[in-house]
Amino acid sequence: MNNYQNYPNSNYYKNISDNNYNATNNLFDPYTGFIHGNMFPSLYDPYEISKPYDIQPLNDQAQMLTYIDALSFAAIDLNLYLDVHPEDRNMLNLFNQYRTQLNDLKKEYDSKYGPLLLSGDSLTAFPWAWNKKPWPWENK
Amino acid sequence: MWIYEKKLEYPINIKRKDTAMARYLFAQYGGPDGELAAALRYLNQRYTMPDERGKALLTDIGTEEMAHVEMIATMIYQLSDDASIKEFEAAGLGGHYTQHDHALFPTDTNGVPFTSAYIEATGDYWADLESNMAAEQRARVMYEHLMNETDDPDVLAPLSFLRQREIVHYTRFKELRDYYISKYKRNT
Repeated sequence: MNNYQNYPNSNYYKNISDNNYNATNNLFDPYTGFIHGNMFPSLYDPYEISKPYDIQPLNDQAQMLTYIDALSFAAIDLNLYLDVHPEDRNMLNLFNQYRTQLNDLKKEYDSKYGPLLLSGDSLTAFPWAWNKKPWPWENK
Repeated sequence: MWIYEKKLEYPINIKRKDTAMARYLFAQYGGPDGELAAALRYLNQRYTMPDERGKALLTDIGTEEMAHVEMIATMIYQLSDDASIKEFEAAGLGGHYTQHDHALFPTDTNGVPFTSAYIEATGDYWADLESNMAAEQRARVMYEHLMNETDDPDVLAPLSFLRQREIVHYTRFKELRDYYISKYKRNT
């Protein structure tokens, strides 16, 4: 959370991490939920040596990807909830709020760093951009 | 169909080689309660779920488990990519080196190859969902054992994340199971 507050160009910090709690729905904000592995504080049940570890991005690209990771995660966790609770209107509204933010952020990432998906706009560039580094499993 | 997204669900950046830990993580790769077994279990069960809630939940958790397979593979790869033959042998991975070199290959931690015998699919939602609840609990315990075997925060962070996902999946399966029992007036 510290590295989020310190990130100089953070347009998204406000959206995804400006409080630790979404009071309307009793949820974590996306970044806090992401590092806990769940958006629902009531379901957080850590092992004795579990703790939420702050993400330590290595560069600006990784930092922006972390915002995408956090919003994607929020959408995944709300998605599973909505599968079983399809008539929760508040949660559906929140899902759509995160989904919209995520789509905007992915577009910006795609134009700066290349495609995350084979539907990315940056695939119109020459030469073919999909096979550029980094692959997700590589760290050197 | 499925669409590949060129990122992990949770970032993994392991700097310290640990061939023994790589070996232990195979439990979650190709073991009976590992992520691959979970993904295939749910993605096979979804066809015979009795309503839209079940078809959606099994599809979506099964899909997330595929992302967890990728995370476990990434951890194994980063922990052992630089390991020498001697280090593979010392970690009990000499047999893995002989057959697979540094390649990823789904086995359990003792080198037993993955088998579809690990996948339960009975065609009965009640049996399948309770089986899934138990599978999520077994996977949670295995993550705790794995966390006991390392002190590297680069490894503990993704393990901590994955362990909590087992708890969330357990809860959603249980909610679906309870909903069906009430909806279909099953006598518990």
